[in-house]
Amino acid sequence: MTVAEAPSQPAKPGRTRTNPLWPTLAMPGIIWLLVFFLAPMYVVLAIVFGQVDPIFRTPVPVWNPLQWDATQFTYVLSRIGPGGAYGPALIRTGVYVLIASVLCLAIAFPVAYYVARLSGRWAGILLAALIAPFWISYMMRMLAWVNLLQDDGWVNRIASLGGLFDVRVHWLTGQPVVVVLGLVYGYVPYMILPLYAGLDRLPQSTLEAARDLGANRVASFWRVTLPMCRPTIVAAVLLTCLPMLGDYFTSDMLSASPKTAMVGNLINDSVQSPGQTGQAGAFVMLVLLATVLPMFYYVRVTARADEVST
Amino acid sequence: MPVPNRPGPNRRQFLQRAALLAVGTPALVAFLDACSKGGQSSSAPSLTIAAPSSPVKWDIPADNTAIADGLGPEKGGTLQLYSYADYMAPEAVKSFEEKYGVSVQISTFNDTDEALTKIRGGNVDYDIFFPSYDQIGRLVTGGLVRPLNHSYVPNIKNVWPFFANPWYDQEWRYSVPYTVYTTGIGWRNDQVPADIGALKNPYEALWDPAYKNKTAVIDDWHTAMAMVLLKLGITDVNTSSADDLNKVGEALSQLVAATSPKVTITMYSDLPAGQIGLSQMWSGDIINAQSYLPEGVDVDILRYWFPADGKGLVDNDLMVSLRGGKNPVLAHLFINHMLDPEVAKQNFSAIGYQPPQVSINPDSLVADGFIPENLKSAIVRPEYFDVGYRILELDPANDTAWHNVWRTFKAGGS
Amino acid sequence: MRGPVAWWNDPWRPPRVLVAVTIGYLIWSLLPVLIAVLFSFNDGKSRTTWQGFSFRWYWGDETRSVWHDATLHQALWQTLKLGVIATLITVPLGVMLAIGIDRWRGRLPSGANMLMLVSFVIPEVLLAVALLFAITSLALPIGLGTSAQVVGLITFQIAYPAVLVRARLATIGNQYEEAAMDLGASPMQALRRVTVPMLFPAIFASTVLVFADVIDNFVLVRYLSGNSSTEPVSVKIYNTARAAPTPALNALATLLLAAALIAVTVGYLFYRRMTRGDATAGKGIAAFAGEA
Repeated sequence: MTVAEAPSQPAKPGRTRTNPLWPTLAMPGIIWLLVFFLAPMYVVLAIVFGQVDPIFRTPVPVWNPLQWDATQFTYVLSRIGPGGAYGPALIRTGVYVLIASVLCLAIAFPVAYYVARLSGRWAGILLAALIAPFWISYMMRMLAWVNLLQDDGWVNRIASLGGLFDVRVHWLTGQPVVVVLGLVYGYVPYMILPLYAGLDRLPQSTLEAARDLGANRVASFWRVTLPMCRPTIVAAVLLTCLPMLGDYFTSDMLSASPKTAMVGNLINDSVQSPGQTGQAGAFVMLVLLATVLPMFYYVRVTARADEVST
Repeated sequence: MPVPNRPGPNRRQFLQRAALLAVGTPALVAFLDACSKGGQSSSAPSLTIAAPSSPVKWDIPADNTAIADGLGPEKGGTLQLYSYADYMAPEAVKSFEEKYGVSVQISTFNDTDEALTKIRGGNVDYDIFFPSYDQIGRLVTGGLVRPLNHSYVPNIKNVWPFFANPWYDQEWRYSVPYTVYTTGIGWRNDQVPADIGALKNPYEALWDPAYKNKTAVIDDWHTAMAMVLLKLGITDVNTSSADDLNKVGEALSQLVAATSPKVTITMYSDLPAGQIGLSQMWSGDIINAQSYLPEGVDVDILRYWFPADGKGLVDNDLMVSLRGGKNPVLAHLFINHMLDPEVAKQNFSAIGYQPPQVSINPDSLVADGFIPENLKSAIVRPEYFDVGYRILELDPANDTAWHNVWRTFKAGGS
Repeated sequence: MRGPVAWWNDPWRPPRVLVAVTIGYLIWSLLPVLIAVLFSFNDGKSRTTWQGFSFRWYWGDETRSVWHDATLHQALWQTLKLGVIATLITVPLGVMLAIGIDRWRGRLPSGANMLMLVSFVIPEVLLAVALLFAITSLALPIGLGTSAQVVGLITFQIAYPAVLVRARLATIGNQYEEAAMDLGASPMQALRRVTVPMLFPAIFASTVLVFADVIDNFVLVRYLSGNSSTEPVSVKIYNTARAAPTPALNALATLLLAAALIAVTVGYLFYRRMTRGDATAGKGIAAFAGEA
C-alpha cells in the first residue's frame, strides 16, 4: 500500500465528509427496523382507529388517517382513570413494576459490584453462573417456582419445619407478593449484566484517592462510587423495568387471578377476542408511550452530558 | 457555554418535510390498501341465531359443496386437529393413524374466541375443529366450515337420535356431536367438608368467604356469567337485558372480594392436586380428575353437584370440518372414527367427557364400575337436554355487552 | 491479635457481606433450576416427590418421553432451528448497523439510533401484537409460523449486538482506524483488517447472548406461531404447565440447557483459538463477554 493510494474522498471544505461506506453498512439494519418495527406500529394505529366487522367483530383496519374513527380509543381512554374499569390494572402494573425494579436493584447492585470489582480470580466462574439463567428457559424457571410454591411444595414444607406447624398458605391464588417476587426473579439477571459492565469500568484510582483522603467505606461509597455509576444504574433500571411493563405470563403462571392482572394481561386477553382487538391496540399504544418517553428523555440527557463533557 | 450541535430545523427544512409527509402518506395508504387482505368483512348482513325454539337449517352455498362420494383418503398428509388441550385420547388418535397410515397433529387453544379469530385469520390449515354450538352460526356464515358428506359417516347411527336433526344444525349438514356435558360445582370433601349439593342455592358456595383462596371459576365468559345468572335466579342465560348484566357485573365484583377465585380451565388437574377445593366445573372435568389424583389419595373425596331435575347448564361440543383444511376426506373418516362405539368409550375413559353414544347406558355406568358412586351426578342423561338451559350464540350487540362485563371482571376492576 | 473493632475497621478485609449476598443470590437463582433438572430424572409421574432415578422421561417411556413423543422433540427441534437462523441473521445485521451508525454523522443515523434503542427496551408483547396485526391484516409473503417467528425475533434482538458493538467501539476509539488510514488503507480495508478483529469479543458475546435469548423467547414466538408444529419448547412448557405436566417437560428443558451450554462452550473455545496471542488472551471469560 503506497501513499499514492490515499482515501478517494477528498475533504470538501466547509462540509464534513461522509464516506458512503457507513450508510451502506447501516442501511440493511435501518430498513429492517423501518419495515418490521415502525410499519407494524402504523398497522396498530390503523386497527385501533379502524372499524369492526359487524358479525365476527374482527378488526377491519382503516389505512387512511382521514377516515380514522376514534371510538375504540376513547372507549379505552375513558376507562383508564382510577375509577374506571381498567384503572386498577394500570395502577397495579405501575406499582408492581416499581417495587420489582427497586428490589431488583437492591439485589443486583451488590452482586454486580462484588463480581466486577472484588472477586478477583473467581470472576470468570461467577460471571458464567450469572449468565447461566439466560440459557435456561425462562418458562422452566417459572415452572420450577410453581412447583415449589404449590400447596404441597417445598416452600410450605420448609415453612412448616417438616410438619411442626400446619402451614398451608395458598401461594398460587392471587397473591400480589408472589407475582412481584416472580417478576424480580425473572428480570434480575437482565439487570446484573449492564451493572457489571458499568461497574467494571470505574477507575479504581479515584476510589483509592477517596480512601486516601480519609473517607471511610460508607462515605467513599456514597459520595464517590455512587455518583460515578449513576448513568449505569439509570441505564440498567431502564433496561429492566421498561420490558417489565409488558409482562403477562408471570401473573398468568403464578396467579391466574384477576386480582393481579397487569396491563400485559389486558393486552393478551383482548388481542384475539372478538371486538376487543382495537382495545388491545389502544393499550399497546399507551404502553408504547410509557416506554418511549423515558427513553427519549434518557437519550437527550446523555447526549447533553456528552456535549458538556467534550 | 456548550453549543448544541443539533440546531433545530430551519423553515426550509420544515416545509420540505411537511411536503414529504403530505405526499408520502396517501402513497403509503394506497400501498397498504392494495396489500390489505380483502374479504375481512362478511357479505351477509346479519347473523342467524339458532335456538331450541327456532331451529335452523343452514344453507349449502354453491361455492361450498360437500366433497364427492367414494374418494380415497389423502396420502402422506398430516391431519390437523384444533381442540382444547387434553381433549382427545392419544390411543384413539393412534388407532386412526395406524388404520389409515397417516399422521395426526393436535394444536390446542385456550378459549373458543381466540380459536375462531385464528381460523378466520386464514393463516392456518386445520382440518377439524371442536367448537360448541354457540359458534356454529358464525362458522357457517363466515364460510369457514365444509358441509359434511353423510356417506362417509355411517357411524352417526350410534349417537343419540335427536342429534341426527339438532335444532342448531338440522339434518346435521355441518356438524356431528362430540361430547355432552353439564356445568355444575365440583369439590373435594377433605378441603370442603360441607355437602354443597344440599345447600339451598349451591352456586352461592362460591361466594362464601369461608372458602377464600380455594375456589375457581371457568375461564369462559359465557359459562361463568351464565352461572352467575343462575345464582341470581335468572334463568335466561342468554339475556340481553342491561339490568341483568349489571347485576352480573356486581356479583362478579363481590366474588373477587369474597373468595378471590382462580379463573382457569385446568380445574381437572388443579382440584386433584389440591390447589383448589371448590370450583365451577364441567362434568367431564370431575370425571377426568380421578386420573390426576396423586398416589395415596382416594377417589372417594371427589364430589359433583348438578340440579337433579336437569335445570342447569347443559351443552354439547361438536366436530366440524374446516374449509381451510387440506385433508377433507381424512377429516370425514376421522369424524366417523370418533363416532365408533369402541373408540368413543376409549375416549370417554381417557378424557372424562361423555360421548352421546346409544351403547353407553347412563344407568349402568355406575354398576359397571366405569364411574364411581360418588360421581354419579356427573353422568349426563338425555332427559337433561329437554329441560336444561343452553348457552346460545348471541347477536353481535349482545355479545359486545357481555364481553364488556367479562373484560371488566378479568381486569380486576370494579 | 487485633480486637473485633479493629477487625471491623480494617479497610482491606474481604467484603463478607457482599460475598454472602452474591452466594445467596446465586443459590436463589439456580436452585429451582437444579431441582427441575433433578426431577427430570424422576422415575414416577410426580414433579415434586422423588420416586427414584431413571431415564424414563428422556427415552424410556413409550409414549410420553422426549424421544418418543413427537410433539416434544418437534418443539426442541423448532427451538434450535429458530435459534440458529435468527442468530445467524441478527448478529451480522446488528454489527453492520452499529458500525454504520457509529461512524455516520447526521440526523438520520441519530434517528436510527433512537429507533434501535427503543426496540431494545420495548416490552416484547407490544412488538408481538404489532407484528401479529401486520401479518394477519396484510397479504405479506410471510405467514404465521416459522418465518414470522424468525422475522419477529430478528427485529427484537437486532439491538443487542448493535448496543454491545457500539459500546466496544466507544471503548476502542478511532485511533487504530485512523492510524491504518494514515498508513494508506481505505476505510473499507481499515474496517476489515483492523476494526472488526478488535470487535471479535463483542461479536462473540452478542452471538452467545442472542442465541440464548432466542431459544428462551416466549411471547413473540407464541403470538406468531401457526399450528402446533411451530411451537418451540417455551410455548410447550407454558401450555402444558397450566394443565398437568410430567417430568418429560423437565427433561425437555434440561436438554435445551445442555444444548445452550454446548453452544457457549464451543463458542468460547473457538474464541480462545482465534485470539491466541492477542493482548486479551488469558483474561478468560471477562474478555469473552467483551469487558476486558
